[in-house]
Amino acid sequence: MKTNYYRDSLQLLHLSEEAKKIEGVKDAAVVMATSTNKEILSKLKLLTNEGLNASSTDLIIAVLADSESAINHGINRIDASLTQPPTSKGRFYTIEAALQSMPDANLAIVSIPGEHARRIVTSLLEKGLNVQLFSDHVSQEDEFELKNLAKSKGLLVMGPGAGTSIIAGKAIAFANVVRKGNVGIVAAAGTGLQEVSVLVNDGGLGVSQALGTGGGDVKDQIGGITTLQAIEALERDTSTSIIVIVSKPPDPTVKKKILDYATQSTSKPVVTCFLGAEWSPNTIVNGTRIYSTRTLHAAVLETLKHVASPATIDSISMLPNELFAIVDEVRKGLKARQRYVRGLYTGGTLAYEALVILNQLVGRVYSNAPVNSSFKLRNSSESFKDSVLDLGEEEFTLGRAHPMIDPTVRQLRLIEEARDPEVAVIIMDIMLGYGSHPDPAGAMCDSISQAQMIAKNDDRVLPILAHVCGTDQDPQRRSDQIGRLQTVGVRTFSTNALMVAASALISRRDITLATLNEFYKQFLDTSQGK
Amino acid sequence: MVEKILKLFNSDLKVINIGLEIFKNDLESQKVSVVQVSWQPYPKLEKEYEDILSKIL
Repeated sequence: MKTNYYRDSLQLLHLSEEAKKIEGVKDAAVVMATSTNKEILSKLKLLTNEGLNASSTDLIIAVLADSESAINHGINRIDASLTQPPTSKGRFYTIEAALQSMPDANLAIVSIPGEHARRIVTSLLEKGLNVQLFSDHVSQEDEFELKNLAKSKGLLVMGPGAGTSIIAGKAIAFANVVRKGNVGIVAAAGTGLQEVSVLVNDGGLGVSQALGTGGGDVKDQIGGITTLQAIEALERDTSTSIIVIVSKPPDPTVKKKILDYATQSTSKPVVTCFLGAEWSPNTIVNGTRIYSTRTLHAAVLETLKHVASPATIDSISMLPNELFAIVDEVRKGLKARQRYVRGLYTGGTLAYEALVILNQLVGRVYSNAPVNSSFKLRNSSESFKDSVLDLGEEEFTLGRAHPMIDPTVRQLRLIEEARDPEVAVIIMDIMLGYGSHPDPAGAMCDSISQAQMIAKNDDRVLPILAHVCGTDQDPQRRSDQIGRLQTVGVRTFSTNALMVAASALISRRDITLATLNEFYKQFLDTSQGK
Repeated sequence: MVEKILKLFNSDLKVINIGLEIFKNDLESQKVSVVQVSWQPYPKLEKEYEDILSKIL
């Protein structure tokens, strides 16, 4: 244990992976001693009494090996890596020094603990840089102040908590490689931005700019400052011909502000997807049409309708009877008591889209991040009936890398879900793109096989569905990832929404085609309301 | 007042990355110019020293 010793979670994840390769080491972990990490170490049998008593500012080096000497060898090697000085090429210790080296810098990415963000971001804005603020745990007061400062200078603060943007054709932080095109995206929802940009790409179009604003931007206290700036910029951007706005439910006053602004100040078509918010009908004012959709899937179909040919729409969607045919195949052999869906998500917005869809098709769905607070799981480490987990929420990530990077939490949870004889189907997202795990599907395969073996030994089948959110141009290559999942019997879907609808049909065998058709009209097929 | 933002959209990105190095590496693999600022938490100081330091800095 190293007391009061900080290293960021990604660096520690990398060290942990390297440590597992040391000769004689059977398993290893290098983590900050947060309660989440201690719980995981305990499940991995890597927690000692010393580790148990460590505080969250301490660092634990845990090594499992056959002999005392192998343990010491492992610890010494890890310790040496920890204290190795970084290489100095292209590296600076102050913003001023970095700017001297790159005086024409136009964007800063900030990913430091949130309580320190205000000082750094203020300084960057004063120096005229736009900021992608990845850090979480920035107070609303700080966010409001930083965004106002940015606005007064005509700059953007994308965040806090914004890990995804595509600017000038480049993927910033957790974003996918999509073609350049004419669809502009503003998203207060990171994996929402990813799903929309990927599906737009699948539909044969491309993205002009995609700007992540951070989820807090659409709260009353912030008032949509960045969202409105982004809409204004995309309206003025000559390469953008349609604007898509994506968010979990904004506070109602902010939603109105966004819609009013879009209606009065844009000339381009605007497609909105306020997941889980009260649905507003399409509106036409002064020739600007605001198209309202309920899911990410529908938002993309609506977008494609305006700027693509109908043929491309078929490339991402599926008719209700086609979905039914697939489901009939998948749900063969399920026992009567297998009647619940379990969602294990790394992407918060995709988890939210799942909740919106399942609420419609199966009713009450529990979650650690529910749409309706009455359905909050009492204990996030235990699913209840139909449950969808956002494994990127704080209780799973304190002092750890996000599950899009570190698969451990989901691997462990999948095994637990497989032991529950009432589970009918497990759904999961596999997020590709820069920033994400280099092989997220491969990282789950052993656990998936193990989960299916647990079910088989209990004389059950356990369908596992996945949506791979990414493109073949992403570093992980979507077709490779889908191939890996198929080898362990996972059925993949082209959109998160289709996967979730399929899971509803698998768990509730009494949903009729007529009900599904009605659901399609409201949630997937956007021709309604025109 | 979005001229600077439009300029960002239409320029080559030049990025200062403060914090996680993975973002720097990913941008470099997309041929974006990036410089890295290594960041460590400020040491915890007694309040009076912190006040003096913040005046100096």
